[in-house]
Amino acid sequence: MKLSENMNQVPVGPFHPLLEEAEYFNLTVEGETVVDIDLDIGWMHRGHEFISEQKTFTQSIFLVERICGICSTSHPLACVHAIEDVDNIEIPERAAYIRTLVGELERIHSHLLWLGLAGHFIGYDTLWMWAWKYREPVLQMFEIISGNRNHYGVMRVGGVSRDIDLDRVKELHKILDTVDAKIKMIAAAAPDDPVLKSRLVGVGVLTNQDAIDMCAVGPTSRASGVPWDVRKDEPTDAYGLVDFDVIVLQNGDVWDKLVVRLLETLESTKICRQCLDKLKTVKGPILNNVKEISAGEGIGRYEAPRGEVFHYVRTDGSNRAIRHKIRAPSYVNIPTYSASCKGIPIADALITLAAVDPCYCCTERALRVKGEDPDAIDFVKLSREKTERIRREIHGH
Amino acid sequence: MGWYNKRLAKSIWVFHVSASPCNNCDIEILDLLTPKYDVERLGIKLVGSVRHADVLLVSGVINQKVAPMVKKIYEQAPKPIFVMGVGTCPSGGCCFNDSYNIVENREDVIPFDIYVPGCPPKPEAMIAGAAKLMEVLNG
Amino acid sequence: MDRTDRTDDFLKKFEGKLTNVIRKPKRLYFVVDDKDIREVAQYIFRDMACRLSTATATEVYDAIEVLYQFSHDPSGCYFCPRVRIKDKKNPTMNSITPVVKGANWIEREMFDFWGVTFKDHPRPEPLLSRNHPNKLDKPLRFGRVS
Repeated sequence: MKLSENMNQVPVGPFHPLLEEAEYFNLTVEGETVVDIDLDIGWMHRGHEFISEQKTFTQSIFLVERICGICSTSHPLACVHAIEDVDNIEIPERAAYIRTLVGELERIHSHLLWLGLAGHFIGYDTLWMWAWKYREPVLQMFEIISGNRNHYGVMRVGGVSRDIDLDRVKELHKILDTVDAKIKMIAAAAPDDPVLKSRLVGVGVLTNQDAIDMCAVGPTSRASGVPWDVRKDEPTDAYGLVDFDVIVLQNGDVWDKLVVRLLETLESTKICRQCLDKLKTVKGPILNNVKEISAGEGIGRYEAPRGEVFHYVRTDGSNRAIRHKIRAPSYVNIPTYSASCKGIPIADALITLAAVDPCYCCTERALRVKGEDPDAIDFVKLSREKTERIRREIHGH
Repeated sequence: MGWYNKRLAKSIWVFHVSASPCNNCDIEILDLLTPKYDVERLGIKLVGSVRHADVLLVSGVINQKVAPMVKKIYEQAPKPIFVMGVGTCPSGGCCFNDSYNIVENREDVIPFDIYVPGCPPKPEAMIAGAAKLMEVLNG
Repeated sequence: MDRTDRTDDFLKKFEGKLTNVIRKPKRLYFVVDDKDIREVAQYIFRDMACRLSTATATEVYDAIEVLYQFSHDPSGCYFCPRVRIKDKKNPTMNSITPVVKGANWIEREMFDFWGVTFKDHPRPEPLLSRNHPNKLDKPLRFGRVS
């Protein structure tokens, strides 16, 4: 876009002090208002698709687990759905419940993680510590189920690799009760919090039309009134057998995204409880023996905590895929920044980017674009104007 | 450096560099700061700027695009600085060795002093790694 | 909420333009001509209110195939138009980004990985290897022997 005299560019990243990933944002600002945002990605590109096409199916399940540490059930699950879709392979009922249980537990831990980080981004570390403290028992449940806190290695083509015996189910039930109580507490406390409300309501609105145009998925689109959820639209595994609601809100601001996630967490505990109850009564094998995969194409998807994970597998009858396409939910959600960030103050822009972690220290590294003359952009004047505006707003004259 | 190192070991300030990881090690590093593991009781603190850091926590196989940035960060760090590789990726490349986009020799980009293997390493393992580093610093 | 399957209507509407139709439960793959892709994409995206999941470029022995995957969310069906580009040296095809805004990134990625040039794309530059420190003499993935 064309830069005018009073525009500045604020580079954010690739390494910023606050958090995890290396991403690079270039915010063009006019005074305090963001007028354009440009992203440079590829800092994390490791070539999963290319590696996966050289591995056998079971190996590539191990590999896709390592795409993202937070979605490490969603990717393998979508991958096995894709491979099963080539030949329409059925899975045993008990395996379906275990898959759904692990998937929903992941949603609980991921949403609590996001809630904590969102608190961290707006400088509200109490919420961060709370949410992460109550996320620990969920990781403990994973340790009981799979033996690892994060990468679980549970999914296989035709079922799951590990069974959960009855004693474990009882143990999991107990932990789930404590988690449930704590989540209810947070879900009751957070929406009444004046700090959260004043920072998030009406900020970074993604309109319904923009969400549809940009093909956004998951909580990002459901907070803008797009009612689609893969779990309901194409109920695989045990999702057709359990009872749950899809949460849809209309406003599209950051606040609605927070509420959608909180309510979804409660729905997830509901699903987990039903799965654990069923695991006590449903007996049988956990893995169908799959001898070969014929030539063909398969599409597999799963509603990850962030939205629809999409895997496409094309096979030629051998034991590996000739094309394996992976599309993570953030890939379609991140471009919506260009719609939701424009026209809002830079301090709010960074909360709007919250899913990809912003930082305030970086905003000081402003880069001069045009106008060699230091007086061309009068920051003092802008600051005075803002003070005047706020004074008017407060005093009403 | 013995005198300096002993003072350093009392309170290690760490800066976190994510060089194309899968995010899991990063989440576990943040987990260390939250109430269950709470490494601040050992004097370990996550800082916002590399200029304040004593130890760099590097996670991930380093890809070609991010490598110059990682190198730059190491150059900007005040010396002496110690580099801890968190996870299987820095130590062995995990399952990404066939990739076209990762650097061939990670030690060329940033010299590692200590590795904590595991995919991802348990928080306890990271604490043990930090404790070993402190032991070495104390002489 | 109308959850009916609209595959039959679609096949009737574009009769004659679709070849190699593969029909599986809830999945429909078909080959369309390069010149028709924008019309088909517009119909699927606007009139049938589908969502673009992603697009996949595949290198096969005689062509590069670009497969768009549209999801009809209410029924859980997938409509996958496939375009075969015979010219492997200079693969070129029509972009659907003017019609479907969400195709912006994925088309840039295919340009980056496989060297497919998309005509009328609003921003024809690489996605992942932008500002890449090494000089890349060819697309990231094309022609690499596995």
